[in-house]
Amino acid sequence: MNNKDSMASVGVAAEETSVSVTKAPPSGKEPAKITREKADEILNAIKAIDGGPKVLKLYMDMCARCGTCAKVCPIYYGSDEKKYNPSLRSDIIRNIYKKHHTISGRLLGPLVGAQDFNPDDLGKWVEDSYSCTGCRRCATYCPFGIDNSVITRKIRGILDKAGLTPETMQKVVDISLRTRNTDGASPEAFKAAIAFLEEEMHDEHGIDVRIPVDVVGAEYFYVPPSGDVLVNPEATMGLAKVFHVLGMSDKWTMSSTCFDGANYGLFTGNDADMKADNKPYVEEAKRLECKTLLMGECGHAYRIMKMIMEPAKWWGDLPFNIINCMEWTADHILKGRLQFDKSKNSQPVTYHDPCNFGRSCGITEEPRIILNASCADFREMYPNKGENWCCGGGAGLSAMDDILEFRMKVSGRKKLDQILETGAEYVAAACSNCKRQLSQLMEYHKTGVEVGGVHDMLSRAILINGKAAERQQY
Amino acid sequence: MDSFSFIIGGILPYVVVPVFLAGMIYRFRSWLKAPQPGKMTLFPAGGSPFKEVLAETLFFPSLFKGDRVLWVFAWFFHITLALVFVGHIRVFSTMIDGMLMKFGMTSDGIDSMSSISGGAAGILLLATGILLFVRRLIIPRVREITGIPDFLAPLLIIAIIVTGDWIRFTGHFELEQTRVWTASLLTFSPIIPADGMFLLHILLAQALIAFIPFSKILHFGGIFFTQALIKRS
Repeated sequence: MNNKDSMASVGVAAEETSVSVTKAPPSGKEPAKITREKADEILNAIKAIDGGPKVLKLYMDMCARCGTCAKVCPIYYGSDEKKYNPSLRSDIIRNIYKKHHTISGRLLGPLVGAQDFNPDDLGKWVEDSYSCTGCRRCATYCPFGIDNSVITRKIRGILDKAGLTPETMQKVVDISLRTRNTDGASPEAFKAAIAFLEEEMHDEHGIDVRIPVDVVGAEYFYVPPSGDVLVNPEATMGLAKVFHVLGMSDKWTMSSTCFDGANYGLFTGNDADMKADNKPYVEEAKRLECKTLLMGECGHAYRIMKMIMEPAKWWGDLPFNIINCMEWTADHILKGRLQFDKSKNSQPVTYHDPCNFGRSCGITEEPRIILNASCADFREMYPNKGENWCCGGGAGLSAMDDILEFRMKVSGRKKLDQILETGAEYVAAACSNCKRQLSQLMEYHKTGVEVGGVHDMLSRAILINGKAAERQQY
Repeated sequence: MDSFSFIIGGILPYVVVPVFLAGMIYRFRSWLKAPQPGKMTLFPAGGSPFKEVLAETLFFPSLFKGDRVLWVFAWFFHITLALVFVGHIRVFSTMIDGMLMKFGMTSDGIDSMSSISGGAAGILLLATGILLFVRRLIIPRVREITGIPDFLAPLLIIAIIVTGDWIRFTGHFELEQTRVWTASLLTFSPIIPADGMFLLHILLAQALIAFIPFSKILHFGGIFFTQALIKRS
């Protein structure tokens, strides 16, 4: 599979749903005049911040306006236009909150930065909130740990309630809620794709490497992003090979109805959608009686499961634990159970830490263990891990082709420089969103750099019965 | 004693202190009360959250990584502010003098130490305060997010520092006056020092104290909450 094909790795959905490519920001069109009730609803949503979440309330009260967030923001790095300053974006609702909810704001107004809500600004709200990639880099460097992505998400959530979520995003949510995957693929299509992957692996190794589907009682239930099955499937093949080598092919399963951890409710700010998208996966995990939910190479999917759904106890206590497939594989590599022929991956390879894995979940060493084991020339890009720069397509932006120019020239600018500095010919990113953004970025700037996943590299180099894959034409 | 100084030194303290306490209690309570579903952890994490929050509060390591120049200004400004705050205990009570005397220091020795360290702190605080303000004016990314309150707060603080430095560096200010004033406030029979610059200094300081719970200076309380949330693993 070449870069051109993998550009669709967020999925067919993104291709299907993208509206005509324009240079206009995501708002594109002026939102219709909103009604009085809608305006009140928006105001009430801002006032409701008083009831939590705790972080949001604190962020309303305590920004010292030191400008550190702008210095470390990938968007502001790409273009220092005023509207890209994270602190000003957050002021969209902070000023209104102050006006209506603080004694000082009511009494002193602009003296304390309070401003009233103006429905005419909503178009700007859409544009501004959909030009933040939610990478949380600002929070890493902010002396107070203020996470502007939380405020961005709140703005998006308010817009969503008013029906102002950009069409490209809303379609992904709708398809996912209807079909349980962002590609809109049927169980039959999924099974056909799996059969194809098993054939591929047979061609590569001359033996059967199985990918079990819908097996009740399997120990591990693997949930990748659907792109890792349908569009850019080497990662799933890689994981299947790991199970095979360990003699555990009968210990894992995928589900023909739940094969996409992607959950755009996180990006539109709609908590109800996020839960509705998540619920069938937890139910399926229970139905399959798995002991471990093995999340694939999808940053935000893992974050929702591990850092949000589980600790917030959306569905009570879970009868299974949640880990990531990179943790699982890295553990077996460290224990010496997997062997590789590094010469299969002789080109220089670097790793891009997806924000949702690195900063938000602390999965940083595991992908490096896998890449170091399977690649001859692994190179770090700097800064990395928790301090890595965003690919420029976070928070769902990479699915929005109506802002392609913005992503290629502004939000992805720092990442482009970073990748080129390494001299790598392959960038591994454990995230479908990052992969789509990076593929487009590499193509747009004609770098010739290949973009793929982590287990993809493993798949090409892992030894089965002492032999690595006979490389097929991907 | 004219009525003007009576208002500043004899009435305002009874307004400002309750406003400050009530405001801060209100803030802290509302922060404690708000629920936080899900985790906000930022990695790398996994050490002791208590130690990490303490480190953030004392040394600003995140800012150190993010903006080295600002760190130099901000850290020296805040650490000096903390020292000046501690130094001001001497202004209000003889407690510190008593302690130091137990360690064998003479009254003159304490005075000259206070004069050197307090003087140095007063200069450093003014210098870093001005540097922070100038930075705000000249760096576009900071200038463009600076609103009226972001000008008012530093100007107020700089004015307090200037009046404080004035008192320290122009002639000798007898601390006995302020100690009497403090004691008299506690017995609700205020005796107010008759010194114009001192009155201006405490007027501005009281304005700042009353302003804190309603301003961005709240960051000095909020930091414990926000940092704790991102440091816990």
